[in-house]
Amino acid sequence: MIDYLVTVLTEGSIFAIMALGLNIVWGWSGDFDLAFYGYVALGAYMTLVLTVGPATDPTTYILGLTLPFPLAVALAVVSAMVLALIVGAIALRHLRGIYFSIVTLGAVYVLYVVTGQFVPLFNGYNGVSGLFDPMGDVLGLDYSSYSFFYLGLCIAVLIIVLLLTTRLNGSRFGLALRSLREDERAAAAFGRDIYVTKLKAYVLGAGLGGLGGALYAGYLTAFNPSAWSPVETIILYAAILVGGRGSTRGVVLGVAVMVMGLQEATRYLPEIANQPSFAPALRLIITGVVLVLFIRFRPQGILPERRFRDKDPAGKGDAAAVEPVVTGPKLDTGAA
Amino acid sequence: MTVLLEVQGLHKHFGGVQAVEACSFTAAEGQITGLIGPNGAGKSTAIDLISGFKIPDAGKVRFEGREVQGKTPHVISRMGLIRTFQSPREWPGLSVLENLILACFEPRRERFWRSLRGPSRAEKEKANAQLVEARAILDEFGLFHLRNERAGNLSGGQKRLLEFARMRMAKPRLVILDEPMGGVNPVLGERMAAAVLGFVTAGTSVVIVEHNLPFIERVTDQVVVMAEGRVIAEAPFDQLRGNPAVVDAYLGELPTYDDAES
Amino acid sequence: MHEALLTLGFGLVAAAILSLSALAFTLEYSVTNVANLSHGEILTVGAYCAYLVQQHGGGVILSGLAAAAGGGLLALAVHNGVVDRFVRRGIGGLPTFIATLGVSLVIQNVLVIIFGASNLGYAVPQGAPRTVGPFLWTDTEIQIMVSTVVITALLYVIIVHTRFGKSLRAVSQNRSLARVSGINANRVAALTWLLAGLIGGYAGFILAESVGTFSPYSGFSFFLITLTAAVAGGLGRAVGTLVGGVIVGIALEFFGGYVSASYNLAFAFAILSLVILVRPRGLFVGGRRSVFE
Ligand SMILES: Nc1ncnc2c1ncn2[C@@H]1O[C@H](COP(=O)(O)OP(=O)(O)OP(=O)(O)O)[C@@H](O)[C@H]1O
Ligand SMILES: [Mg+2]
Repeated sequence: MIDYLVTVLTEGSIFAIMALGLNIVWGWSGDFDLAFYGYVALGAYMTLVLTVGPATDPTTYILGLTLPFPLAVALAVVSAMVLALIVGAIALRHLRGIYFSIVTLGAVYVLYVVTGQFVPLFNGYNGVSGLFDPMGDVLGLDYSSYSFFYLGLCIAVLIIVLLLTTRLNGSRFGLALRSLREDERAAAAFGRDIYVTKLKAYVLGAGLGGLGGALYAGYLTAFNPSAWSPVETIILYAAILVGGRGSTRGVVLGVAVMVMGLQEATRYLPEIANQPSFAPALRLIITGVVLVLFIRFRPQGILPERRFRDKDPAGKGDAAAVEPVVTGPKLDTGAA
Repeated sequence: MTVLLEVQGLHKHFGGVQAVEACSFTAAEGQITGLIGPNGAGKSTAIDLISGFKIPDAGKVRFEGREVQGKTPHVISRMGLIRTFQSPREWPGLSVLENLILACFEPRRERFWRSLRGPSRAEKEKANAQLVEARAILDEFGLFHLRNERAGNLSGGQKRLLEFARMRMAKPRLVILDEPMGGVNPVLGERMAAAVLGFVTAGTSVVIVEHNLPFIERVTDQVVVMAEGRVIAEAPFDQLRGNPAVVDAYLGELPTYDDAES
Repeated sequence: MHEALLTLGFGLVAAAILSLSALAFTLEYSVTNVANLSHGEILTVGAYCAYLVQQHGGGVILSGLAAAAGGGLLALAVHNGVVDRFVRRGIGGLPTFIATLGVSLVIQNVLVIIFGASNLGYAVPQGAPRTVGPFLWTDTEIQIMVSTVVITALLYVIIVHTRFGKSLRAVSQNRSLARVSGINANRVAALTWLLAGLIGGYAGFILAESVGTFSPYSGFSFFLITLTAAVAGGLGRAVGTLVGGVIVGIALEFFGGYVSASYNLAFAFAILSLVILVRPRGLFVGGRRSVFE
């Protein structure tokens, strides 16, 4: 039972990291990016090929180094960001709305097909494997305590990511991103460089996706194309939508409901139905239904994005009355 | 009297429609310049071309002596030329106060790393000052009680006022207002007139597109008349009445406005 | 026979299937302004309907009709159940697009639960290849070509020469204007989706015939190529879409024949991205524009 809990929590925190990254792109900057899972996958693959050592005969993949896990994770994040920079630089230049989504969908399919078909890259459809208990031997952990260690690691990373996003959330950068989401033309009329700002958000989001992917690779010990059909992105979108698009706490809640909760709720189904694909299929059906219902009836989610509230009934622009009440950080880091 | 904005021979066509054709006029510093003309005259298109939202087929735009045609909207905006749109473009999902704060573009504070590091002492003080100023401006426009409201929930007229408030907050060198009175009731019109005049006091010159001619007569120093993409007259309002081209373009509408007002 | 001509022959068959699918997609788009991400599932459902009929001894004609009926009903259900409600509530094109992605997920996985996730074989007696003009086609391929030409011609007549077609064009140009001038826009949109579903379902059937296997996911993969054709031709423009379908279909077959068939999908998307970046309104409309135009 405790093992099961550890599994669910580890997966939950990894998906929360990914969802927080996607939330920057979709929640704040407002772009429906279907390539996101590609960055997750690249992060996972890079982590593997940087740590597991050279390929042995039937398998082939690039690099094959034996770097320490943290360094490999950092490099994986960087490569995801570089890929996002390339895709974003092309797609964000002129495209918005469905055209942007279609091109990013195209990008991820190209990546998917190339990964699967071009075997020398990441060993094709068989994928890369062999990352057992990263950092376990350095820290001298045995198998049973290792899963607790990895859970702790994932939660620690999640907390750092949460601190980072919360800080950005109320910052001028976060506010400027919101203005792009709300009305691009007005944002440009008031001096915002839409392309560069959106691109920054896109690359940052992809970096968090890559980070989630890197941790996912350490958790799964292996990665192959069947682990990341591009449809996977929809689950992250469903989590964000249910929790509250743009809202950091909402996204965490959304992952808890749509990833961990749904997993838990459909856990005993395979035995009942006596059909291996039944539970995953049912989960996807529920995800699809939830997506439709939330867009229709509660697009702001369970915990909607909060706006900055100015509490100062008597303040009407009187500097003396205002100064003690509202302080800088409130505007800059308070939940906007 | 120094020229702030100089438009020279702008052309723009959409398919077969020549929306703007050889459009030339100037707007002077410290003045309110009206831009009028019948529907479809090409006024909004001209604004789009000047502010970089559309790319002209030919022609030059000089702002403060520098050529800006073909530059992107944000570059032109940062030079101090901000325009409004024919339909209000507030940031609907943000609060009214946030709309005002966002009107001040601050390149340094909006950078990613700065935002991550948090504001410095000086920046905190500046943010405070901004907040105080934003409240004062909102109060002036009668929007103070709505400052925490979602901007998208304001009424049409309130959104127009919010656009004025944002402009006041941004303090550009020149504003171009595209039909700021559209859908605003006459009582609010008084407030609008005061607001437009207030820009000049605050050091912002104005170009204003408006169909309400009494309003134009009241606030403008100079009027540019467009019809079918061309500038057909450029003179103070009271000199326009005798101009046959202008009367023709308005199909005799111009001389009758006095009756309409009384 | 010359190899290039052979490839062209295959390319035309692929282009025929692709054009039908893209035409259906463009019809859906034209009346609702919603890019239907569950379009691929119309094809999939069509293929399953044809398969069921075939399993119970139905012939080619019966299977084709069943596929069309299944696709049509599904399209109508998606329109009336989701898209139309969203559009009427003023929910924009992008959120509705996302919702149709959810619909796609639901249909795919319902099929997985009913039929399983693996490939099913769709075996039809292909007949010996015979020469048709310069090409070498089997009976099935001839059936595909002929039926595509007939359907396209019928569609042309419907759109250009009937009252319904006139309303359809009016709604696709300007829905509210059409409504003001007395057209029941919702009904026209629903009928258009039904029509698109009939064509899409049939396209799924000939796709299964031509490939020989299909699965709950095959419609979605084919939809990705459909999207290339539809966008290349200009979303919502029927003639452009038809031309886009033919060009993309033939280009893919040549790429597959001479470069590598495994990268077909990647190649399709390379075309698509290029088209969207260079000519976002389709290959046949142009001009220099700023981002905001
Ligand atoms: N994006 C466009 N595509 C095609 N034609 C356009 C476009 N924008 C404007 N036009 C045409 O250009 C002409 C000028 O339009 P514009 O909006 O500039 O007029 P306007 O003077 O602002 O009119 P109004 O007073 O009604 O706002 C019109 O004939 C219009 O139909
Ligand atoms: Mg106009």
